[in-house]
Amino acid sequence: MQPIKILFVFATLMFIATPAAYAEVAFMNYKSYCMQCHGMHGKGDGVNVPAMNVRPRDHSDNKYMMTRTNTEIYKAIKFGGPAVNKSIKMPGWGDVLTEEEINQMVGHIRTLCCEREILRGVNFK
Amino acid sequence: MKRVLILALLVVFSSPALSSAGEDGAGILKQRCAKCHDLTGPAPQTIRKLWERDAPDLFYAGNKFRREWLVEWMQKPVRVRPAGVNYLRTINSSPTQKKEVEGKNYDILWGSVLKPLRHLALKPAEATAVADALMKLKPYDKYVSGMNLDTSMKVGLDKGEVLFDKVYGCLSCHQVEPGFGGYTGAEVYTAGRRLQPEFMLSYITRPKNWDPKIWMPNGNVKPADLQKIVNYLITLSKEDFNAAN
Repeated sequence: MQPIKILFVFATLMFIATPAAYAEVAFMNYKSYCMQCHGMHGKGDGVNVPAMNVRPRDHSDNKYMMTRTNTEIYKAIKFGGPAVNKSIKMPGWGDVLTEEEINQMVGHIRTLCCEREILRGVNFK
Repeated sequence: MKRVLILALLVVFSSPALSSAGEDGAGILKQRCAKCHDLTGPAPQTIRKLWERDAPDLFYAGNKFRREWLVEWMQKPVRVRPAGVNYLRTINSSPTQKKEVEGKNYDILWGSVLKPLRHLALKPAEATAVADALMKLKPYDKYVSGMNLDTSMKVGLDKGEVLFDKVYGCLSCHQVEPGFGGYTGAEVYTAGRRLQPEFMLSYITRPKNWDPKIWMPNGNVKPADLQKIVNYLITLSKEDFNAAN
């Protein structure tokens, strides 16, 4: 193969593989940390729900999630519910997740609620 | 002749191991526990490794457990975590269960975790020996060294539960009495009997120190509240939860 072709293949692979790897990390983290309350499919129906006096947010609720900015979601994950005037039952995960992982998690939550808007190119801020 | 020799060799090599396993706690640990429990460390560093864990890590058992509880538990093992050590294996979220029962549309526990715990039970002498061996495993002295329980900051059960539920939201995952509280954390109504106070103080302050990828968040508990919560847990563990039944 010509060197230029190899370079081309490599570049294509990078574009496909890198976001996929990120998405997988975010998915694993969601399944590990968020799933206990927000549910396996992010519908706010986790296994701990019967013990809670506040219903966790349904991440697939497009109508509600479209009113939240990415910054707010980021803050809620990093500093917990009280940082965005929500319940204390949402703890801050800043100590467990790295900055990068939180950003990927915001992206992952966007794919749960707003896939169509992502395709349309909406700016979530 | 060859067979006899091999047999003789086998006997010579295997018998010391067998005889020592009966008495020596470390030997029992190595032979029977090491298959599921991590006895050497370090704790899982990635999320994938964490999900491969079958049983609680024991390599810092000496920093964590109370010896009396260990001796008692190993003779009569019962489940401590309602959702199991690895809850990804025990939570069922099949969409079919959704509309079956009105108002009960959430993920449920299923599988082995609903049955009594399957765990090796030891004889009293063995349990004592193993507990002694476990209490020697103390790699995390640095995390408990600065921690001291202030027994003057005792709170009543009501006030403690307010702290535990409303102020820090721990009740979402931990049960404060059988069947009351979340499933994914370890039960805390036995925590006072099970764990050393210094461990509780240190673990609540920063779970990440002990288990880097664990799903217990750092609640940023204020130092005064931390003392109150641990005192509450110790008081709580003295309650008799079978009395009501």
